[in-house]
Amino acid sequence: MITVNDKKHINIIDTTLRNGEQTAGVVFSKHEKLRIAKMLDEIGIPEIEIGTPSICEAERETIREIVNLKLSSRLFAYCEAEPQNIQLASECGIKNVVINISTSDLHIKRKYKKNRTWVIRKLRESIRAAQQKNINFIVSAEDATRTDLEFLLKVMHIAKNKGAYRFRICDTVSRYDPFRTFLNISTILSAVNFPLEVYNHNDFGMSTANAMAAVRGGASSLVVTVNGIGEGTGNVALEEIVMALKYIENIELGINTSRFRELSEYVARSSARAIPVWKAIVGTNVFAHESGIHADGVLKNPKNYEVFEPGEVGLTRQLVVGKHSGSHTILHKFKEFGIDLTDKDANEILSIARSMAVDLKRTLFDKELIYIYRDYKEKKIKKEEKAEA
Amino acid sequence: MRDIELLTEFSKKAGTRLEPENIKIDDTTLRDGEQTAGVVFANEEKIQIAKMLDKIGVHQIEAGIPTMGGDEKEAIKQIALLDLNCSVLGWNRAVKSDVDASLECGVDAVAISISSSDIHIEHKLMKSREWVLESVKNTVDYAKGFNLYVSVNAEDASRSDMEFLLQFARTAKEAGADRLRYCDTLGILDPFETFLRVKTVVDIVGIEIEMHTHNDFGMAIANAIAGIKAGATYVNTTVNGLGERAGNAAFEELFMALKYIEGVDLGFNTKLFRELSEYVAAASGRIIPTWKPVVGANLFVYESESRASAVLDCPEAYELFKPGDVGLKREVIIGKYSGVVAITSKLNSLGYKITKKEAEELVKIVRNKSISIKRALYDGEIIDTYKSYKSGLKKENSKIKSGEKS
Repeated sequence: MITVNDKKHINIIDTTLRNGEQTAGVVFSKHEKLRIAKMLDEIGIPEIEIGTPSICEAERETIREIVNLKLSSRLFAYCEAEPQNIQLASECGIKNVVINISTSDLHIKRKYKKNRTWVIRKLRESIRAAQQKNINFIVSAEDATRTDLEFLLKVMHIAKNKGAYRFRICDTVSRYDPFRTFLNISTILSAVNFPLEVYNHNDFGMSTANAMAAVRGGASSLVVTVNGIGEGTGNVALEEIVMALKYIENIELGINTSRFRELSEYVARSSARAIPVWKAIVGTNVFAHESGIHADGVLKNPKNYEVFEPGEVGLTRQLVVGKHSGSHTILHKFKEFGIDLTDKDANEILSIARSMAVDLKRTLFDKELIYIYRDYKEKKIKKEEKAEA
Repeated sequence: MRDIELLTEFSKKAGTRLEPENIKIDDTTLRDGEQTAGVVFANEEKIQIAKMLDKIGVHQIEAGIPTMGGDEKEAIKQIALLDLNCSVLGWNRAVKSDVDASLECGVDAVAISISSSDIHIEHKLMKSREWVLESVKNTVDYAKGFNLYVSVNAEDASRSDMEFLLQFARTAKEAGADRLRYCDTLGILDPFETFLRVKTVVDIVGIEIEMHTHNDFGMAIANAIAGIKAGATYVNTTVNGLGERAGNAAFEELFMALKYIEGVDLGFNTKLFRELSEYVAAASGRIIPTWKPVVGANLFVYESESRASAVLDCPEAYELFKPGDVGLKREVIIGKYSGVVAITSKLNSLGYKITKKEAEELVKIVRNKSISIKRALYDGEIIDTYKSYKSGLKKENSKIKSGEKS
């Protein structure tokens, strides 16, 4: 196994309430935002981005109420680099902000319709506003992966000199694969020694891998959302990166993972974005085994097909009977029902169950298995009676 | 060597350019995709999916498991008779009777699958390493006797002892296998480890490698790409990433990642991606999440002012490829995060001209409305909001006027 030698602490900052809500069409109610903030705090997430003060008074009201919860998590508000946005954050009782500004020429010219000097000025003005209000800050470079390195380092220097917590690198359009991410992060760190945070999107399905590559390259903080919700394809999923760090990288963050499924369900309901059954880590199908090979393997020893116990993320293991099932599953299932089958009976019931699953185009409910068993028994008794007669 | 230096060296090596002729896609939607707990395709659906994959340009289709018999076998036979451009492969355990069943289906290629990890050999197969190697040798020998293209699948390769995996690969090669499928059965690799392990097999044994990755930790695509960078030439994918547990490497994501991140275009007809994904979603009863990479319905739907205002003028600000490339459409919707530019553009497109001042007022109204209804607004609602705002203005004006009179 390749591991990074100096295992420093990795910080997690969750932005479900900010970029998660920024998903087109998603709106959390105040009640939901408070609940999500509490849950994140309870499971041990060190930092939370709770909202964007400049949106409207209702949003500021929610931010104030979350601040008043006096959570252990450090709370951040999100501000596009503009002194007035910092002022609004301050009015909510916020003590920490993320100051965001695009640094790529493409964004500067086509989105802001300005130049690099303007970017530097806006950033400096916003930092000054924060310092006047005694607000601590992270500097976030949007579209950093398409930014000229020299300019990016210049912006990073400002963050460092002005006393930011750290510098955020946003891979806004998912420009990089894990190898490029690693090289990018290690290159930046060798040029400027300052804590780096990465913010990844999932446009090509690589956000979790990129986050981990960034950690290997020396990044010390990761931006995540529950279920990976967020604009476009979404962000790094909290539950995926925490488990990946633990089981692939051997970094234990001390987060209470057994509440992951509960948290995911809550966010899924309040965002009206259902958790796909196959969602990595928290999908209900992750510990459902149907095929003969897999189910048989799991029955013999869960380690054959599972890396961690389902209870660790609040799920349960299920054996599902369907087209791909084998006789071991049937034997095991009926044992659960309190019925000991012979191998011969199990094989015959299996073939009935398989063809039924093909006809119905789905797996069978436990009840249906019992019906199959009853019909099978009845037929068998009749046959025996006939034979006797 | 320090690990960080090793990783740097890997990453630099992994940066070398890939050639499209060296990469082939072997899609297993019909085999591993259907093996998803709860998913069953009807035979006509299987045939339709095979035809669509072939039309799009996939190189090989893993059509199913012939030895299961019945409908499954029938579907594979029919797919083999379709006379597709792509190769049709049947999945087998390392037993001769499975290969016989494949032969009866008329496929041109077989996968011969057997575990190579000690944990599987001891706890699942309950056999020995020698028995595994013997089974590989005998089954490959047998299949090659019928002139089939043979892939040997090293199941649970990621947890296999490297020395034994090399021996396994060598045995397969010497018996005449055309390639080795590297199965990250539990999805436990990360891209760097994948690179290291695959490169070791490629360099030492020199056999073609196929990547079969799972998404248990969300790394299926990254690991497949890492495998290719290490010298693998095939990737086993499924449409929508369907597959056991968290699923496999998604066909559409892998293709687009190769094209837009790695700069290697396999030349498939991507315009059919959304259609194919919809078909597989319907047939499998597993809907496409709106945020699904590459084919999710919401990928090109913008609400926040930061993104919406930028893409209206310059889509490249937030898009690496065009929505039409994958059969989707771009749209700006109006909700809690909307701003002046998006609202102005939206109302213009609905036939209403508004001033900057009106837009600023409307932003406030729309944001509050979106919060109270907990969603974005429909076009009709936006028009209503605008109209009631305008009539409110009129009333206010007339009030002021009448007030002046009295």
